Amino acid sequence: MLCASLLALAALTPPNARAQPQFDQLRLIAPAAPGGGWDQTARVMQQVLQRESIVTTPVVENVPGAAGTIGLARFVGAERGNGDVLLVSGLIMLGGIVTYDSPVTLADAVPIARLTGEYEALAVPATSPFHTLEDLLAAFRERPESISWGGGSVGGSDQILAGLIAAAVGVEPRRVNYIGFSGGGEALGAVLGGQVSVGVNGLAEFAAQIDAGTLRALAVSSAERLPGVDAPTLRECGVDVAFENWRSVVAPPGITADERARLASTVDAMVRSGEWREMLSRYRWLDRYLAGDEFAAFEAAEERRVRAILNDLGASAASGEARAFDPYATFVLAGLALFGIAAAVAVWRERKSTPARGGTLAWRPLALIGAGAALHVLLAESLGFIIAAALLFWLVARAFDARHPARDLVYALAVAAGSYALFDYALELPLPAGVLGAWL
Amino acid sequence: MGALEGLSFGFVNALTAQNLLWALLGTTLGTAIGVLPGIGPALTVAVLLPVTFGLDPVSAFIMFGGIYYGAMYGGSTTSILLNTPGETGAIATAIDGHQMALRGRGAAALTTAALGSFVAGTLATLALALFAPTLASVALEFGPAEYFALVLVAFAAVTALLGASLVRGLFSLFVGLALGLVGIDQLTGEARLSFGIPQLLDGIDVVILVIGLFAVGETLHQAARGAREETAVQLTSFMSMSREDWKRSWKAWLRGTAIGFPLGVLPMGGSVIPTFLSYFAEKRFSAHPEEFGHGAIEGVAGPEAANNASTAGVLVPLLTLGVPSSATAAILLAAFQQYGLQPGPLLFSTRPDLVWTLIASLLIGNVMLLVLNLPLVSIWARVMLLPRPLLFGGVLVLASLGVYSLNRSLLDVGLLYVVGVLGLGMRLVDIPLVPAVLGLVLGPMAEQQFRRAVAISEGDLSVFVTRPISAALVAAALVALVAPLVLKRWRRHE
Repeated sequence: MLCASLLALAALTPPNARAQPQFDQLRLIAPAAPGGGWDQTARVMQQVLQRESIVTTPVVENVPGAAGTIGLARFVGAERGNGDVLLVSGLIMLGGIVTYDSPVTLADAVPIARLTGEYEALAVPATSPFHTLEDLLAAFRERPESISWGGGSVGGSDQILAGLIAAAVGVEPRRVNYIGFSGGGEALGAVLGGQVSVGVNGLAEFAAQIDAGTLRALAVSSAERLPGVDAPTLRECGVDVAFENWRSVVAPPGITADERARLASTVDAMVRSGEWREMLSRYRWLDRYLAGDEFAAFEAAEERRVRAILNDLGASAASGEARAFDPYATFVLAGLALFGIAAAVAVWRERKSTPARGGTLAWRPLALIGAGAALHVLLAESLGFIIAAALLFWLVARAFDARHPARDLVYALAVAAGSYALFDYALELPLPAGVLGAWL
Repeated sequence: MGALEGLSFGFVNALTAQNLLWALLGTTLGTAIGVLPGIGPALTVAVLLPVTFGLDPVSAFIMFGGIYYGAMYGGSTTSILLNTPGETGAIATAIDGHQMALRGRGAAALTTAALGSFVAGTLATLALALFAPTLASVALEFGPAEYFALVLVAFAAVTALLGASLVRGLFSLFVGLALGLVGIDQLTGEARLSFGIPQLLDGIDVVILVIGLFAVGETLHQAARGAREETAVQLTSFMSMSREDWKRSWKAWLRGTAIGFPLGVLPMGGSVIPTFLSYFAEKRFSAHPEEFGHGAIEGVAGPEAANNASTAGVLVPLLTLGVPSSATAAILLAAFQQYGLQPGPLLFSTRPDLVWTLIASLLIGNVMLLVLNLPLVSIWARVMLLPRPLLFGGVLVLASLGVYSLNRSLLDVGLLYVVGVLGLGMRLVDIPLVPAVLGLVLGPMAEQQFRRAVAISEGDLSVFVTRPISAALVAAALVALVAPLVLKRWRRHE
């Protein structure tokens, strides 16, 4: 038995996986903060590529912000023509591009492959009056707003699924009472506590609760019934929706056909490795490997689907229907103006009654620090962090005391080099190396 | 397995040479990153995850627990000595902690912070061991309406921090509220006040505001005053706490723990509300409220204890429900998944060895942190004696680095210095800084929870008073707001 499974494992591992590394260094950019799905995908890729000796040193960089669109914009701009870097992307990025009205889209990058997928589930607390999806949808059809759908951020996969379900059962998606929570924890807490009528989230997020019987799965978004999951598919319940939250990798624009082929074969070697299979089962990810032109066509079709449903939901910044009046913002800005004027008057009165309080400002030190900060920000990319930081330190030190320029310079270089070493080597947070790059 | 049986089992497991070594490594690393501004435990654990992949999960979690607790110890150090809190949980500590340091009592402030962290960490971890499942089910009763009411309580507490001039304090608060408007509206997806700059769509990171207003603002302010006030700090003694300090600290530690732990359990996240409610409580119930803002030791002891207790509280929903309520908790959840473990209602029964060993090693780690940090106090206190050019040069380099490491964006570093100039301006005209930070943290929370609650109730505003917990919190907020005024008038009549 054991021998048989070992043989099967060996057969799954093609001979080329252990061959010569295809890259010395390959950078994997996760357009999100550490901890999320994209970051996990990048770090799992890092492990597999390294352990299977496909890449000698894979490096993960995080460029978080605006549902991945900041990372995408920087990738398409700054990495143009670089053949040794991949960006982790996926369905949520398509949602982000629409929601955040991003000028850069996934079509601006070179598609390499879809890697994984995760199904979504609809779940209610064990005490909920809704025992089946039919119960829920009956109430939803009758009065859509009475059903609150709790899930992740606006424009993400959870809201997209809620919109698709509404459209499929003949309810206007705009009437979905969707409650977006930031982060999975808050959403899961709200579902468990019965604060919302139904939770929409990744099946994996709900799995522990469903196993424990504290949550009841009403439906899963897969096309076929899933083994080991005691819940019907949406289609079985008469809702013609199949949906998964897929993740992929793309390359920067402007690379040659050879570079593209090399990246594609690297990813291909990775997904065929035994290590990758093990990771898929460990993280409960579905194998959704799809490469080349088929992936490009899939990506384009998904983009159209996501754009259409988000526009119907009215969730996009581009839908052009901004609320005419924003009471909270108006209140805050009015308060700011009112108390700003009041504080200015108070300061002016005090200054008039007690003149010369505090005396004049010393402008020279402020100018030195300002120059240090400006040079630091402007030069950090081109000259590198060490020089830019040493310059900042030195000018700040001179602002306080100009008597020891040489001593200050020594300290400046020591602090800058020391913090570079700390961040780059000990904490593995790469900093710009700049002109010193060749020696570091 | 009962709690006591579990704990003793956990101690037997944790007290192996190897596990103690992992705990020591974690706590040391945690203290170090706690001292660095901007870098928190979330980032550190995320970076370490792939490295620890081959480790036994028990050892890995012992180390992660050490990092998590250790970072909360280290966070107070720069707040007290340099008035530069590196994370939100340490802002309240800076108010009186730095004043103590300026008066040469930095060592006492650091000691009460370390001891308070120890007391709170130990008590809260024990509470976690004994009552976790019960507490978690109570926390689930909190929905958007309750959270909104809780934020109201926090706003009422802010009034204690507005300073001598009401209009200046309110102006500062509204600066923070206005900064909180920036970015994509989490409920509708609309962009507000982001001026077409994509980096602003996620809003302004509170860490940038904190480091900018405090660290950069303080440096600019010191520089702008030139050499006129070159008053080097006189360290009255390297001796730590006096008998008087002990007497005033211990109750504050306990109160801080009592406030911090339950608030940490709520899946809303954040250490701002617990630390500031603790500060507020200390000031309100103190026999000498006039000392607050001028180096009252309770103002350090209470919030530091609250910070550590809430840190332990976050582990309750994480371990019992699989609900992560902070950035670090989210990474720890990912770490569990990496080992094929699923935190949730079944974790205590499927992997009791892991859970109880983790809890036991958190208690051991707390002792280690105390042993590690107390001797460091006298070394840290000497930082104040560094020549000012080197001190402030170092502060700005570390501040820039910390902010850069958040998003790897130089635009953020530029924003940091713009905020620094704002901080200088506010200092020059005596506008308090803390209300602005609280405005930025609390404003978006209040707005989102309010709108969520109203959306769920389909526009019915009565939810805030018909749900019992929410009604009680709203009443508490009103009392906190009105009681001081009534008391003042009543005393005047006497």
